Amino acid sequence: MSVDEAYREFVELLGEENVSREPAVLDCYAWQPTFNDDPDRWVKRPVAVVLPSSTEEVQEVVRICNRHGLRFKSFSTGWGAWNGPTFDNVVQVDLRRMDRIVEIDAKNMYAVIEPYVNGAQLQAEAMKVGLNTHIIGAGPNCSPLASATSGWGVGHDSIYMSYSARNLLGVEWVLPDGELLRLGTLGSSGEWFNGDGPGPSLRGIMRGSCGALAGLGIFTRCALKLYNWPGPPEMEIDGIMLDAKMEVPENIGYYMCFFPDRSSFSDAMYKLGEAEIAYNALATSFGGYLDILTPRLFRKLEHTGALRSLITETFKFTLAVLLAGNSARELAYQEKVLHAIVREHGGLAMDVTKMEDFFSMLFMSFVRATIPALVFRMGGSFSTALDRNDSLDTQVTWREVIRKIKEGYIAKGQILDDLADNPYFVPYENNTWCHCEVVYQYDPRNPEHREALEPIFLDVTIAAIERCMEPLFTSDPRVRKLISPLAGNFGRYQQAISRGLDPNQAADNTLYSVEADFDFSGIDPERVKRLQGVVEQRRWQ
Amino acid sequence: MAGKKKEGKGALREKLAEVLGAEAVSDDPDLLASYAAGGELPALALRPREASQVVEAVRLANREGLNLVPVSSGPPHHHGGSRPLAGAVMLDLSGMDRIIRLDRRNKVAMIEPGVTFGRLQEAVDPLGLRVLKPLLPRWNKSVIASELEREPITIPKYHWDMNDPLLCTEVVFGSGEVFRTGSAAGPGTLEQQWAEGLAQKNPLGPGQSDLVRLVQGAQGTLGVVTWATVKLELKPRMRRLYFLRESDLGKLIDFSYRVLRPKQTDEHLIVDRWALACMLAETPEEAQSLASRQAPYTLIYALAGYDYFPEERVAYLEEDVGRAAQACGVRPERELPGVPLERVRRALDDPCPEPFWKQRVKGGWREIFFITTLDRVPGMQEVMGEALREHGYPHEEMATYIQPMQMGRNCHLEFDLFYDPGDAEAERKVDELCRAASERLAEAGAFFSRPYGLWAELAYSRCPDTVRALRMVKEMLDPAGVMNRGKLCFQEV
Amino acid sequence: MALQDYLRDMEGCSRCSSCKWVPFNQVKSWRFAKNCPSITRHNLHAYSGSGKMIMGLSMATGRSQLNETVAEIIYRCQLCGACDTACKVYRDDIDLMDVLLALRAYCVEQGELIPEHMMTIDALKREDNVFGEPKARRGDWAEGLDVKDVGKEKARVLFHAGCRYSYDGDLRETVRGAVRLLRSSGVDLGIAGANEACCGGRAYELGYQGESENFADDMVSRVRASGAEVLVTACSDCYAAFNYLYPRMGKELGVELYHITQYLEKLAGEGRLRLRERVPKLVTWHDPCHLGRKSEPFTGEWKGDKLLRPMSMKRTGKKGIYDAPRNVLRSIPGLELVEMERIKGYAWCCGAGGGVLEAFPEFAAWTAAERIEEALATGAEALVTSCPWCLRMFRDAVAEGGACLEVYDLTELALISAGERALAGGAAR
Repeated sequence: MSVDEAYREFVELLGEENVSREPAVLDCYAWQPTFNDDPDRWVKRPVAVVLPSSTEEVQEVVRICNRHGLRFKSFSTGWGAWNGPTFDNVVQVDLRRMDRIVEIDAKNMYAVIEPYVNGAQLQAEAMKVGLNTHIIGAGPNCSPLASATSGWGVGHDSIYMSYSARNLLGVEWVLPDGELLRLGTLGSSGEWFNGDGPGPSLRGIMRGSCGALAGLGIFTRCALKLYNWPGPPEMEIDGIMLDAKMEVPENIGYYMCFFPDRSSFSDAMYKLGEAEIAYNALATSFGGYLDILTPRLFRKLEHTGALRSLITETFKFTLAVLLAGNSARELAYQEKVLHAIVREHGGLAMDVTKMEDFFSMLFMSFVRATIPALVFRMGGSFSTALDRNDSLDTQVTWREVIRKIKEGYIAKGQILDDLADNPYFVPYENNTWCHCEVVYQYDPRNPEHREALEPIFLDVTIAAIERCMEPLFTSDPRVRKLISPLAGNFGRYQQAISRGLDPNQAADNTLYSVEADFDFSGIDPERVKRLQGVVEQRRWQ
Repeated sequence: MAGKKKEGKGALREKLAEVLGAEAVSDDPDLLASYAAGGELPALALRPREASQVVEAVRLANREGLNLVPVSSGPPHHHGGSRPLAGAVMLDLSGMDRIIRLDRRNKVAMIEPGVTFGRLQEAVDPLGLRVLKPLLPRWNKSVIASELEREPITIPKYHWDMNDPLLCTEVVFGSGEVFRTGSAAGPGTLEQQWAEGLAQKNPLGPGQSDLVRLVQGAQGTLGVVTWATVKLELKPRMRRLYFLRESDLGKLIDFSYRVLRPKQTDEHLIVDRWALACMLAETPEEAQSLASRQAPYTLIYALAGYDYFPEERVAYLEEDVGRAAQACGVRPERELPGVPLERVRRALDDPCPEPFWKQRVKGGWREIFFITTLDRVPGMQEVMGEALREHGYPHEEMATYIQPMQMGRNCHLEFDLFYDPGDAEAERKVDELCRAASERLAEAGAFFSRPYGLWAELAYSRCPDTVRALRMVKEMLDPAGVMNRGKLCFQEV
Repeated sequence: MALQDYLRDMEGCSRCSSCKWVPFNQVKSWRFAKNCPSITRHNLHAYSGSGKMIMGLSMATGRSQLNETVAEIIYRCQLCGACDTACKVYRDDIDLMDVLLALRAYCVEQGELIPEHMMTIDALKREDNVFGEPKARRGDWAEGLDVKDVGKEKARVLFHAGCRYSYDGDLRETVRGAVRLLRSSGVDLGIAGANEACCGGRAYELGYQGESENFADDMVSRVRASGAEVLVTACSDCYAAFNYLYPRMGKELGVELYHITQYLEKLAGEGRLRLRERVPKLVTWHDPCHLGRKSEPFTGEWKGDKLLRPMSMKRTGKKGIYDAPRNVLRSIPGLELVEMERIKGYAWCCGAGGGVLEAFPEFAAWTAAERIEEALATGAEALVTSCPWCLRMFRDAVAEGGACLEVYDLTELALISAGERALAGGAAR
């Protein structure tokens, strides 16, 4: 392994200004506190950072790493601990310079983008031609390419615009050996309009419910589906977010719906999906809104049982629905149906377009998915508990399960008190299937909070397995080792794919194909026993 | 991938019977001939009833070096995906025909490979649901087979991704390993999952791969699906059919873009006069007569209303879609000349009573179909037209079917060439034409995403990086090369 | 405050990269979505607000050392504050700008000095201005205007020109015009002339906080000694120093403070300034950083956990001066205002600030050229601003790039509309 020689080659390839080995500069890639359960919050420092600007440069970077026995790990925006190196000899490939929207084919409704285009940019350009892009709940600062090829992909527009993985067409993929693999029509004719075939679809080895998180190479371009946008080509909005002012666009409706109980909420959601009227739909608790809009409020509510009960019980089943009609008549129809569904299920639908300030704040924050990141306000960080996603009913159960787990930790002061019930609940594709994650907030500077992250992670993992669900972080080597035998030994196939595509094991593939054991030494034995028990109960092979 | 030493058929039959049961093994000549579809004869047919038998069959194939060809639909087989090489062993899953579970709330059916469209539709009808299907599937076509082949459904707005409407599967890979895809994968048995409220509706995963996408389009070269969950949709309370009859295909394409984008239409397809005639006629004579009375192109679309205010939904859509039609210079009509509406409805909703609707013109036909985009269709037609002229095939006797897919982002474009099956020379000429035309179309960018027969060479010669990766996949999932040899880019033979 | 005092801020960075972008609800195009000149130009994460905080954390926790390379990254930053504004859309507990300033001070303490900055500080020490020009000539710009010298006679309003207006000959007509305009509106105006000195803002940004305090003390005593009730400045940098930095340093000027744009708005509102002549131009307004987000008043120091800091004490850039100049422009007959995409609290920097013009002129020029592109994209004939540093940068950028764009100070357009100056062929130089 020769880092010095490799570095010289990087400089020759990319120019000095696009390469660095300076420790402080490298630490900018090693600080990864988000979704990092390690109390230290630093990940391994890369041996170098490189910034290629083209597919050819990416290929050569990968080849240099292969030649010199180095590993590489790429990212687009780099938000989240999974972006950081996991080995000692990793070159961080920062794709920031690859930031073009290559084309928008408005007729065939797709955009071809590079890794560093963010959701806000893509949406702004798509809207000019009457189209929109799926933006994940993490926000428009994230890369749609990274989400679709390598990450997860849920957003509160998923009812209309699906899940990132399902929005892919052609993909350009630099394999871990530096060779190029172009999926679908791209590989055959250089066109982008189809990502599957000929014959079997190689999207099958590219990603699953989660992507490979840079463990299978580097994606340099992809075509993403765009969707109809009946709203204005440009949004006129004054003020930044919480102080925003804007007019209600034509043919837009926005409702906050409240349901009296779990079954009426669930039943209504199923009907909403079947009616095919919603453009965005996000169910959360009313407390969830207060949490992000008044983050200090809950610290004051510690001994106010009646008020807590009022917020959590009265407004427990809250659903925000955005309607977007292609005509005034369509909007009128959508509104009529929504009211009928809500009424039938004992609920109440409030017209948010009539609440000027709230609408102004909420509309763009939903359409552009800027609002979820406000979840950082309370404590400075958050994590999330999510399972595999399946029927809507399973997600309603999941919400309750995690709420109870959270209550225990809140009572001990190990996470912040957000009233525990804090779901991000969204249906996919008119409720073909559904998603719920329950957020928990903490102060990363508080050592007690940091120490609680691992036990919470374990509890959530146990809860998922109990519910016959694959936990969110199957990408974690310990979880993968645990879950894989319960789900067809998928880990073995991933390892085979890794060996097949990456003969030198040059990609940083810890989060894709490495398996590891949980360290139970600091964990309460009852919890360990419960985990082992539930694993045995859930074997089907 | 060399097979093991070939045994005599008798000995093989005994071995198979020992593992699967005698009733599951057949060497009936008529049966074997039905799989061959005029080509090479398989040695035996296995007809399992249970998934465990499939597992045993695949494992035995590995031990014995057999060439196992899965098929789920009844004959006649046309595309060639399940056409065996000589001496292969057919794995006929048509006898595994349970509808395992229907779930109205989650709009999903769990079915075995032998379940046909007709049977499934009959089962879900009382639940107010409909099966998403291709145009006129033959009556004995397997739903799972159709979805594994990625046959395009006729309602583009429900085609969110290329693997729709397929959701989760249980698959026995060529290695003999059993795997479940999507949220069916586990943890937990199916019964445990159902107890927790799962409906096996999430098609993604498990983990960080989507092995179901590999099995789809694989023509049985990677594994065998023993059950699957398939997406169902609401049956409309009200549906109106509309027809745009045009000589200018460009206008219909323009209209399609305008209405597919906002997901306004349900069924949505474009056919030329011959394809329309094939769809609707009951005899060759009727087909001739129908074709002569139709416009060069007809776009058929449906506007639907569901459970809530269906009439109002249809009414506003009619207005909005009407505006789109006006902008394109086309006029929606409610009828087709000389065709009862009921017949159109049956063509859209029911399986085809005879095996293939395309045989209604002359009895024999060849298809060329591929994926392109709507705006590229006219260009493809020109390429096809050149090939027709060069081979002296009358343009007006070719049928064209355009099926928008993925909500209008691309489309299935199909050219059907008819001939009299009793005329060997005509058949030869059509075959020649198909080969030549396919080559030209591929050059022009036609994407043969379902590479049957000669298309495999055409398709794979253009994407060497795909081939390399697919061979790695084959090595992973079917290392002994027992599954459907000679197909796609897997040149085991 | 020292770097160590900002550990919680630095540790709070989640690495979301919001600091690199215009607040997302405001993104209107791919082209003009970025807000930070440093990272837009240099690309390594270290150049972003987040990156600099992480470097600070790395150094403060002993993981790495400050050296020339790291110092250069820290100083290749206009301290425009766009990162701070963007970060605070989501975070209440991080004062990014304060960390950047603390990093500067840390560099100076540790002896990692930029030669050009040392020259600036030396110039300040020698001649009370950032250019090192003779102090005695500081008042020459007002020659012939017959304006009161507050050292000799009282005036109600003290007009502070600032270093750039005092010494940049090209911009002289602008500041002279401002004085004429105020006087013709009946304002009792005086200047400090040669006794005027630098506000000290630049010194603070370069990391020389001690020097900055000296100049602040000097300014406070001069203002008090003048007996003026009002302080008006035409320089945005100075305005931000007076409105934010001085109170932060505990220095009270004890007078009403106005930027020239605010004062013109006030005069127009009172009917004392009559903008009556038509100025038929399509213009776009550039919000100077120091007039906008950086001029937001100091709200006091919160000593405790910033997660519990009252929102009234969180500076977000919202309370900068955005409306006054726009109101003045809109009240000029015939003038049409079209906005750029990056405006107000999320405006793109002109490139001059933070010592970048002095130390990295090509980077400063690149930043200004980027803004010119954005102005041209609006279709405007002219770019208008009200800060001598911005004016300098944009005029140079237009001259360098040959863009067909006029560049005005707002005062110039007001002068024309007030009939004090003819509408010439534009101020593009």
